Amino acid sequence: MRLEAVGKRYGVREPWVVRDVSADVSPGTLIRLEGRNGSGKSTLLRVAAGVSLPSKGKVTGRPHTGYVPERFPGALPFTGRDYLLHLARVHGLRGATAASRVEGWLERLGAAGYADRPLRGLSKGMCQKIAITQALLPDPGLLVLDEAWTGLDQAARGALDAAALERVADGGTVMFVDHEQTRLQGKISQRWRFDGDGRVTMTPLDAAEAGENPDARETVIIELDGLEPGAAARLAEIPGVLSARGAIASVAAARSDDVLRQVLAWDGVHVVSVRAGQETGR
Amino acid sequence: MIALLRYQAAILLRSHRWIFPVIAYVALVAAGAGEGGTPLSEGLGWSAAMCVPVVAFGTRSMLTAEPDAARACVAAAAGPVRSQLAALLTALGGGVLLAIAGACVAVLTSESVLRSPLNPSPAGKISAAVAHPGVLLAGLATAGVCLLVASAIGALFNPPVLRHPGVAVLATLAAAIVAIASDVSPAGAALRHPAATQTTAQWPGLFPAVAAVCLLAVTWTASAVAAARRG
Repeated sequence: MRLEAVGKRYGVREPWVVRDVSADVSPGTLIRLEGRNGSGKSTLLRVAAGVSLPSKGKVTGRPHTGYVPERFPGALPFTGRDYLLHLARVHGLRGATAASRVEGWLERLGAAGYADRPLRGLSKGMCQKIAITQALLPDPGLLVLDEAWTGLDQAARGALDAAALERVADGGTVMFVDHEQTRLQGKISQRWRFDGDGRVTMTPLDAAEAGENPDARETVIIELDGLEPGAAARLAEIPGVLSARGAIASVAAARSDDVLRQVLAWDGVHVVSVRAGQETGR
Repeated sequence: MIALLRYQAAILLRSHRWIFPVIAYVALVAAGAGEGGTPLSEGLGWSAAMCVPVVAFGTRSMLTAEPDAARACVAAAAGPVRSQLAALLTALGGGVLLAIAGACVAVLTSESVLRSPLNPSPAGKISAAVAHPGVLLAGLATAGVCLLVASAIGALFNPPVLRHPGVAVLATLAAAIVAIASDVSPAGAALRHPAATQTTAQWPGLFPAVAAVCLLAVTWTASAVAAARRG
């Protein structure tokens, strides 16, 4: 995907919210957008997601996109499940595939028990889970998360971390904004910094983060929930796992995506958190 | 596009946003049906004309049904232009159903096409209307022109093109009245064709039909572009 001199303003006499953003985003990139409130992060995310056309420049080669807005008020006359089935079809999924994807993601995010309630009656966190589910349904090549973690319980935050990393491991691009500074730390490939003037400074993180945090690139701590007794031993045997204590595994960063995928295939297992490793000390 | 239309139609049906237009249309059509019945072509003209305000506001209703966040999710999946067109098409589709129902009412409440006192029963009226299909088809064509104009009004004077709620409602109402009352509008021109006899079809004329299609194309484009720019 390429952004070519993208600029955005909401009206001819309005100021530029974002100006002159150019980037060549290669597959498998995890991009964190940073900047204070109102600096244009959400606007650029919407332009990148194709929700909004740029006022200047263009976005080319955008893969199929899933977008999670910062707030998802459930003011729609559907139950969660009906809404998701409609969105699955809008995403181009059909029949049994659509239904099984919906069930699978509802389960992973811990929303399956609430999916038959009307959207209007759902809590903010549950609405957020529905919004996240719709974005993940098609295994999107571009996943855009605008503070999608806000309002989620811890298990769902971990599940979203894992889902984002899976998209990256599958060669997708993930762009996100989150107030939690350590969100997906150690896995981020680029940091886009918004200076408040509409301009964006892009930093590839291989070098920068290694300087700040020498261990961050090397190990990742994955905390799990719902492991069967005795599964910890099985966890330690997965290639890439350096050590496993209870439900907490220290994993070589390079292998963490494979490890996550294997672990998530186990029944009832949820990811509580994924973070840069240092506290277990090697 | 089919998935988008299904989604929008489900919103229309389940949000009960169809109830108000249907009640308004029933009331307006009933108000036009005179005591002893009107000639069929007049009844068809009235039910077509009443489509204009009802479908214009029905279009507004569809364009404001989705919260912005939900609209953005769909736009990312299917593109903002296509999702906007789906909302407009759904409202127009609802309008087509209303117009057909209105034409049926016009047939049933009309005095017999042949002014024949021998045929006062509904079955007699239907068979009389079928015996002169030109009158009915021309009436439906007029309704078609009115629907296109109504949809154009709804698209142009409502979000995302015109976002101020008060201004949008007043502009939609004013435009609907002008569309029926003025000869400048294709709907008005289609409704006021030269007087004809009972059994002569009153076709809307080529100019109003072409003008209505052009109006629809321009306003739908404006609505879709505004949705993509402001999304």
